[in-house]
Amino acid sequence: MKKVKVELKLNGKQFKTEVEARTLLVDLVRELADQTATHIGCDTSNCGACTVLLDGRPVKSCTVLAAQAGGRDVKTLEGLSEDPLMKKLKDQFLDKHGLQCGFCTSGMLISSYSLLRKKQKPDELEIRESLSGNICRCTGYGGIVDAIKSVQPGIEKERVAPAPEIQRN
Amino acid sequence: MSDIVDIINGKGRFIDDISFPDMVHIAFVRSNYSRAKILHVNGGYLAKDFPYFMASAGEGATDEEMSLRAPVLASTYAAYLGEPIAVVTGKNRYEAEDNLEGVEVDYDPLNPILDPEEAINSDPVIPGVRSNVISDRFVGRPFSITDADLVLEDRLENRRVATNPIETRGVVAAYDGSKLTVWTPTQSAHSVRDGICESMNLPKESVRVIQTDTGGAFGLKGGVYPEYIVASTLAMKLKRPVKWIETRREHLMASRPGRGVVGRMKIYAMKTGLIRGISGDIIVDAGAYGGASWSSGWIAYQVTGPYAIKEAYFHARSVMTNKVDQGPYRGAGRPEASFLMERMIDLLCDETGIDALDLRLLNSAKDRFKSPTGMEIEPSAGFISRAFEKMGYRQLARTDRPGISAFVLIPAVADGESCRIRVKNGRISVWLGGVTHGQRHDLWVKSLLSEKLGIDPSIVTLELGDTDMLREGVGTWGSRSAIVGANALLKVAAKIMESVRKKTGSYSGKNLLAGDYDEYEYANEKGSLISFGANLALADSDDLGNVKIRTMKAYYDVGKALAPQVVISQIRGGAVQGAGQVLSENLEYDRDGQLMAATLSDSGVLNSVQAPDIEAFYEENPSRFPHGAKGLGESPTIGVPTALVRAIERSAGIRIRKTPVTPENIVSAKLGKTE
Ligand code: FES
Ligand code: FES
Repeated sequence: MKKVKVELKLNGKQFKTEVEARTLLVDLVRELADQTATHIGCDTSNCGACTVLLDGRPVKSCTVLAAQAGGRDVKTLEGLSEDPLMKKLKDQFLDKHGLQCGFCTSGMLISSYSLLRKKQKPDELEIRESLSGNICRCTGYGGIVDAIKSVQPGIEKERVAPAPEIQRN
Repeated sequence: MSDIVDIINGKGRFIDDISFPDMVHIAFVRSNYSRAKILHVNGGYLAKDFPYFMASAGEGATDEEMSLRAPVLASTYAAYLGEPIAVVTGKNRYEAEDNLEGVEVDYDPLNPILDPEEAINSDPVIPGVRSNVISDRFVGRPFSITDADLVLEDRLENRRVATNPIETRGVVAAYDGSKLTVWTPTQSAHSVRDGICESMNLPKESVRVIQTDTGGAFGLKGGVYPEYIVASTLAMKLKRPVKWIETRREHLMASRPGRGVVGRMKIYAMKTGLIRGISGDIIVDAGAYGGASWSSGWIAYQVTGPYAIKEAYFHARSVMTNKVDQGPYRGAGRPEASFLMERMIDLLCDETGIDALDLRLLNSAKDRFKSPTGMEIEPSAGFISRAFEKMGYRQLARTDRPGISAFVLIPAVADGESCRIRVKNGRISVWLGGVTHGQRHDLWVKSLLSEKLGIDPSIVTLELGDTDMLREGVGTWGSRSAIVGANALLKVAAKIMESVRKKTGSYSGKNLLAGDYDEYEYANEKGSLISFGANLALADSDDLGNVKIRTMKAYYDVGKALAPQVVISQIRGGAVQGAGQVLSENLEYDRDGQLMAATLSDSGVLNSVQAPDIEAFYEENPSRFPHGAKGLGESPTIGVPTALVRAIERSAGIRIRKTPVTPENIVSAKLGKTE
């Protein structure tokens, strides 16, 4: 199987590796970089458990080849552990029971984080629409929606530049 | 389960996070057909490498002599789509999947028998059995009512639904030459151990099962599966750790789904609305090896629900079909029973013009009542009045079209539960047979222990399931774990206090933490513990059959809310599963036996836009247990579907007989077509 070199920025650090061309980003993150907050819940790009930030935009890392992330900036939940907005979100998820088993949670947090970076006080429908690619089988979403609504806007207002289109080959 | 803070920080250890340097990954070649002769198979590990039969273990494990013993791998005959036939290995998942190509299977496809009603009289779905009817019982008491004003009949159905936890099944097995260690996400480490030991004929001491953080289960992860036996056998043979993680497609094909029930029901009633009797023919789609064959009788047992119906008699059959075995799914027979009863009550409302609540109150139990099937209930009338008062039914009914339901919840308290408490170095560790996987057992473990032992809750840790740390155990299912788990916990706590008293002369939290203690008890439990619940729903539907849920409400008797926020969270989550069953969840096969759902969304799981929220109320009538709790986890999957179906039925002006209620069903019912 053809191997390709990939170098990307993962959670703020340069990460260099060689992978088979078909390796998915989610496998690079989990297996090669041992960042296991990101989960795999399906093989049909349906569940969103694998959501990460690629150049600041949420993507399902099971739909992106590791090689496509070369030269780009990838952030997983681990890389946001010191982020003030993410901290607030986590507090609210805990307080409002936005998780039960916790398997979908990393993906949910990343998607909600991106939403709150775009819009400080989204309404219920905006919240639900922005989470529609993340499936949760435990909570019924109510606790998650409550948690996002309860995050008080703060200083973290910076805008995210739109990410370039991913090249498919 | 890891601490919730670790989980939210992404530091949980789920099964796919367990890894060893020399680990082997496995993948399965599965039958492409729902029913076929296997003429030839070549490559990979085959049935002969796993000369065992699957033991029945876990929730609803059965010793019934009629229960069939499924092979680990199919060898000459594939009885369902997705049945494992061969196993290949690889150094990672990609390589294992590549190696699937190296296995050749020649099939002679046969006509699959997919409909349980047809299967009753058809030729056997697998060779070697005389009849597809694997469990055949009469439940209740025969009766004859000749002077009823009304005799109403209907055929009702719940199609099968996938359990669909977001973490699928998975296993890692490792062997050190004398002991087999198995990691798996589960509702019961002990059931998995016992299942492996029984299937592979291993002594219990030689197998250790360790629960990993469990990413949802809903009934699926209570027992042992062929893939676990394969991983265990190969770990012993190859002397290397073996890992298998199920894909979502495999889950939909080959993981046991729930529901799958048809009821041909008949009620005998008076014009006043009084129900004199109910009878029915209840048929469960048990799947190829007759999984959960008990469920038809169990459904029949509880059909009468909270109502004092004096005559009841059911023919309950579980029937084998060319599909994966049916298994427990949140509610496991309770929602099906309630669907059969509540649909008939609503039909009676329509026939008599009597209000839905009045009719339920009229038939509710005014005193303790024992049904003809032997189910004993407390008086239900008071509960039903309070519930619909609180949910504002009367006002809503004046201007709107609410659907309502009332039900009983019979938690699976039988056989009790085990608990071990260890006090060491000033810290307290707790193991429960009924392990936690999102239900936050840690909260009530901490609060009950801190109250009872007079200690700071923060020094208490609830450990994951581990058969080497806890001798015996049952499991978390059937709305049981808080009831029997908390009971066992308090008993062991009392034992520990006694030991402290013996050792130090008197009990205090300080004396406790100054020493080392280790106590275990298996608190057996006989008898049952029934609670009531009620739901309300409002929905609209348009000409295209699209449904919009406007309101859902719940009112449940939880005995005592051991952790109030968890009660609400459980209700909200269960309500969306209940609504999913009504709106879209389904595992449908085409005529040729091919599964029509390939993804999570195809199988109908609701996303955040589709999912309704629910306003949840509860009351607390303490149970006979010292902690006062009753069952809860399954209540929303019982009460939501029935209330919601009625709300949709009223808004669309049609009769609904089946879940899911798809837009096509609604439109064709409106056009007067019969299905
Ligand atoms: S793993 Fe399910 S969408 Fe990526
Ligand atoms: S918390 Fe279990 S899937 Fe979302």
